[in-house]
Amino acid sequence: MSDERGAGRESAPPLVVMEHITKRFPGVVANDDVSLELRPGEVHALIGENGAGKSTLMRILYGMYPASEGRILLEGEEVSISSPRVALQHGIGMVHQHFVLVDPFTVTENVILGDEGSVILDMETAHQKVADLAQTYGFQVRPSAVIEDLSVGEEQRVEILKALYRGVEVLILDEPTAVLTPLEAKDLFTNLRRLRDDGKAIVFISHKLDEVLAIADRITVLRRGTVVGETTPAEASKAKLAEMMVGRPVLFRLEKPDVEIGEPILEVEGLLGEGKLNGIGLQVRAREILGVAGVEGNGQKELAEALIGLRKSAAGTIRLAGTDITGWPVADIRNAGVAFIPEDRHEQGLVLSMTLWENAVLGREDDPPFSGRTGFLFIERIKEMAKRLVKLFDVRARSINVAASTLSGGNQQKLVLARELDTSPKLLIASQPTRGLDVGAIEFVWRQILDQKKEGRGVLLISAELDEIYALSDRIVTIYEGRITGEYAPDAPPEEIGVGMLGAADTAEAS
Amino acid sequence: MDLTDIGASIRIALTYFTILYLTGLGGLFSERSGIVNIGLEGLMVIGTVTGAAGAAIFAGPAPEGMGLGAGGVIFGLLFGALCGALFASVHAVATINFRVDHIVSGVVINLVAIGLARFLSFVFFEQATQSDPGGPHLPRLDIPGLSDIPWGLGNAFQNLSPVVLFAAVLVFPVTFALYRTRWGLRLRSAGENPEATRSLGVAVAPLQWQGVLLSGALAGMSGAFLAVEVVFNWREGQTLGLGFIALAALILSNWDPRRLLVVAFLFGFAQAIPLRLDDAPLISLLPPQFINMIPYVVTIVAIAGFVAKVRPPAAAGRAYEGAGGT
Amino acid sequence: MSTGDATLPAPRALPPWLESAVAQGLALLAAFAIAVGVGSLIITLYGENPLTVYSAMLSFAFKDITSIGTVLSIATPLIFAALAVSVCFKGGLFNIGVEGQFLVGMVTASWAALTFDFLPGLLHLVAVLLFACLGGMVYAAVPGVLKVTTGAHEVVTTIMMNGIAVSIVAYALNGPLKFTEAPPGQNVDLRTDIFEPSALVPDLGHLFGMGGSAHLSWLFPIAIVASAIVWFLFRRMRLGYEARVVGSSAGSARAGGIAIGGVQIKLFLISGALAGMIGMQQVLGERGALVQNYEAQLGFTGIAVAFLGQNNPIGIVFAAVLWAILSRGETALQLGTNLPREFVIILQGILIFSVVVVYQIAKRRLARRELQRAGAEVGLRDTATPEDEAPREA
Repeated sequence: MSDERGAGRESAPPLVVMEHITKRFPGVVANDDVSLELRPGEVHALIGENGAGKSTLMRILYGMYPASEGRILLEGEEVSISSPRVALQHGIGMVHQHFVLVDPFTVTENVILGDEGSVILDMETAHQKVADLAQTYGFQVRPSAVIEDLSVGEEQRVEILKALYRGVEVLILDEPTAVLTPLEAKDLFTNLRRLRDDGKAIVFISHKLDEVLAIADRITVLRRGTVVGETTPAEASKAKLAEMMVGRPVLFRLEKPDVEIGEPILEVEGLLGEGKLNGIGLQVRAREILGVAGVEGNGQKELAEALIGLRKSAAGTIRLAGTDITGWPVADIRNAGVAFIPEDRHEQGLVLSMTLWENAVLGREDDPPFSGRTGFLFIERIKEMAKRLVKLFDVRARSINVAASTLSGGNQQKLVLARELDTSPKLLIASQPTRGLDVGAIEFVWRQILDQKKEGRGVLLISAELDEIYALSDRIVTIYEGRITGEYAPDAPPEEIGVGMLGAADTAEAS
Repeated sequence: MDLTDIGASIRIALTYFTILYLTGLGGLFSERSGIVNIGLEGLMVIGTVTGAAGAAIFAGPAPEGMGLGAGGVIFGLLFGALCGALFASVHAVATINFRVDHIVSGVVINLVAIGLARFLSFVFFEQATQSDPGGPHLPRLDIPGLSDIPWGLGNAFQNLSPVVLFAAVLVFPVTFALYRTRWGLRLRSAGENPEATRSLGVAVAPLQWQGVLLSGALAGMSGAFLAVEVVFNWREGQTLGLGFIALAALILSNWDPRRLLVVAFLFGFAQAIPLRLDDAPLISLLPPQFINMIPYVVTIVAIAGFVAKVRPPAAAGRAYEGAGGT
Repeated sequence: MSTGDATLPAPRALPPWLESAVAQGLALLAAFAIAVGVGSLIITLYGENPLTVYSAMLSFAFKDITSIGTVLSIATPLIFAALAVSVCFKGGLFNIGVEGQFLVGMVTASWAALTFDFLPGLLHLVAVLLFACLGGMVYAAVPGVLKVTTGAHEVVTTIMMNGIAVSIVAYALNGPLKFTEAPPGQNVDLRTDIFEPSALVPDLGHLFGMGGSAHLSWLFPIAIVASAIVWFLFRRMRLGYEARVVGSSAGSARAGGIAIGGVQIKLFLISGALAGMIGMQQVLGERGALVQNYEAQLGFTGIAVAFLGQNNPIGIVFAAVLWAILSRGETALQLGTNLPREFVIILQGILIFSVVVVYQIAKRRLARRELQRAGAEVGLRDTATPEDEAPREA
């Protein structure tokens, strides 16, 4: 079996060596004695679960943080990378998980920012340079396009161009496919391979094992800040990698309760709004979990917001257990029996500066027994409720009087979950419920969601993680560009679901 | 009311335009870099007292002053700008280095300015609330061509302070600097997305400092213009909320120097109404105190009516949304 | 080798509210020290001894019971003003229009004083106070409604309203509320007619042996009660809770079903009502009429006092008294030293600035301590990662 990847490259001396890197933040050791080598013409994947230290390590390489200990060697010589500018000067570039592009500017303006070449801007020449660069690497991009109008895949190409424009030899990509459709991911991989063949060293940070196995030449696994292993796709399997990441065999499936599915709890028809929702129709029944699968940015946020009342739809109906709740204000929808786990718990879930008990009552503060008709708050009762929830959901905190900002992401999410489920809703809307959580918290949240079936409730699960969709759903639908594009059985293979997510035949090809 | 009145109103409008445009441009540089600056009024106040002091020192007759004539007046105006910039550095330190809320810091600037101005007045003029009337000023100009327009309208362009022309002409270098230079690109980038700016190795803090200092210099010069060229002395409270009207003009102009030119003139015209058009039809029916309210009401209506259509620089906009933003 | 499970020694544990209060107190002290320090520099430039100057200011304020009474009566309107500002601020709103609301409150109160003179004693006074609050409320409602319906930023609209209010007072004094009999002598100061005694707030100072010049009236205890009510509102009432949520995270408030617009309008109304009371000390407690050269700027000073008191009702009372002591010290300066009275204004200015900056630093320190404590007690894996170390500038 001929395997072009990596063959013959083993002998190339490493371009970058990170030696015994340790990084401490107050109270946390993010990287502990990590060593890594990057070779030219190689795609090196860095994997690990959330919080393993992958991003931190690369940010040190990119000069965003100083290492507490250890050193970095570039072509055998020790260098001090004190800022992103210095990193770029050394030929190291990084594409962040959350793009850092200036929306109202054009592609060219974004690319040349900081390296404009002259005090007075010569945009004509700049546009030409960007166009030439894109052509050299086979990227499709229009230099004069404004970022606001671009698709996510195009934006990512601009980010890569920014690095290439500065002549980087090392390109770091942090979770690049998190926001791409399967087809766009395929395009990205094609481009990455071209760059690799051109002799660049590429670092691919990801937690998506399928893709890592598809694109990487070499894989380093991090867990809790240390390197637990190095391997290649030839030697490793998805299960093995997962086990290395987590330290124990990982449950990809939890046991689903065996219950009979009941009457429709939620009926949505023809939901239209603001260009993001283009006619959504779906149904969730009691004791059923409906998984809405799709790459972010296809209307999921808008759908969730419309259902909870945060957004007015231009047309369509929403019915809850037979009652038309279209256009109702949030408070009324909540009172009717809908609970909401937002995709961004900081923006729409918790008030970080307030205490746990103050957060626990949010949304119910005008219900008895928490306040009286005059508006007086019964704080003792609220605190009792909070204590009960914290115990029940194992939210780890010093007391209910601490600020929510001190909780880890997992504990914050548990608090949100506890609060929402305590209302005994008929319908639970869970939007990206385990984003940013470690495996322990993910398992907990999944368990809680599955248990809703036993309580006779319906769950609308919106998620970009297929693992999650598979683990929880009784039925799966796909969402694309604001429309439901397909319905699938819970055991449908990923390729099929991928068709619904965009009509791609497969997610990433093996070489 | 006749055409002469309209001509005179336009002249007054041009004067107020100068004040509003200079201050507004100052605010533009600050906010485009990402620092909201509602302390423009306070910066103007400092400009008024120091501008008047500077003009008295440099252009005032010897032995108290240096008797430098028109040049001295210009030094005086520049002195006002310099002091404005110095005072603005307080806002810069608070917001950029200590990350104090931009609006809170702006409010503090306005509060402190009043007291500081009294103190400075005491130092320069030995009176707490005003300087002697009749201070030195620049010679007046007539704009060739325009000032010959018949029927009384021509007097709109007669007897203008050169600073008016200066302000009007500023639109060209400012627009060029903002949109066609590397510095302008970086400044705007800092205000739209400081993270993106930093990630490319462009330091954001120095750019923001420059924006805030410029806002101090321009607002200071605007105040100096008011004291030296318009009323010929310093008086407490003479800024009359113009700093905030300039802020409103800036918002309505969507933070663009060309649009600001137009909006500042329109607001300047609103200022002229109580002064010269109080016998116009409809307006003459109002009691005099109500006529005085017109500029403020116009500003409120404009802000309330058009605010949904403007888009502040993204990073600065967070301060504008306050609690109402999502 | 264990990694993220390392623990740190826990900082001493105090209940969170106490820690916060101590932090605020220390911040105020630190800011005060900075202001005193800078002030000392200026004093020495004038050739005076800082110690003598400061002690002259302090002793003047406390020289006798009447002087203390004067201090408290200066503080009274400032307490109302600062409370008004803080009520909005808690909800994330900047009510700079307190000045205008105070002016309009004086106008409506004066109208009520002149119109309801047929009411017996206490009722007349109550009516006047009621109209003071109503005037402020209605005036504050305008920017409030504009904010909620059009999103017009309240900083600009309230300042414009301040400008309009000055004209409203001028109009009232020139027209509807003008005196019916010309005041004696050649003094042509515009004013309303002198109010009936039943409209005035009874003097409190004489109960404590203070001279009449102190003008300490029952408005002072009313102000204290008002601050207790504000405290109660924000700590024990649903509206206060919802306001704090809106002020901290509007998105989470909305997602929780809170009607943001309703909360914001209510805050403006309460704020306006409090602002309306600002002018009562001078109109009902001292002069018995609304005069053309009324004491202005009290609304703006209230903003300064609110910052000084960190928008906390208890802190506000102390801050107002502190401010009043400094203001009273102005007179001491004129009498005993070379310094101009404007020096006090500078001192006050530095004080506000220092408080705002020091408190910002203290807040972050405190947050870091809380994180460390959480990490120590709960374990680092269950604690948030501090975002302390910001990525470097280029």
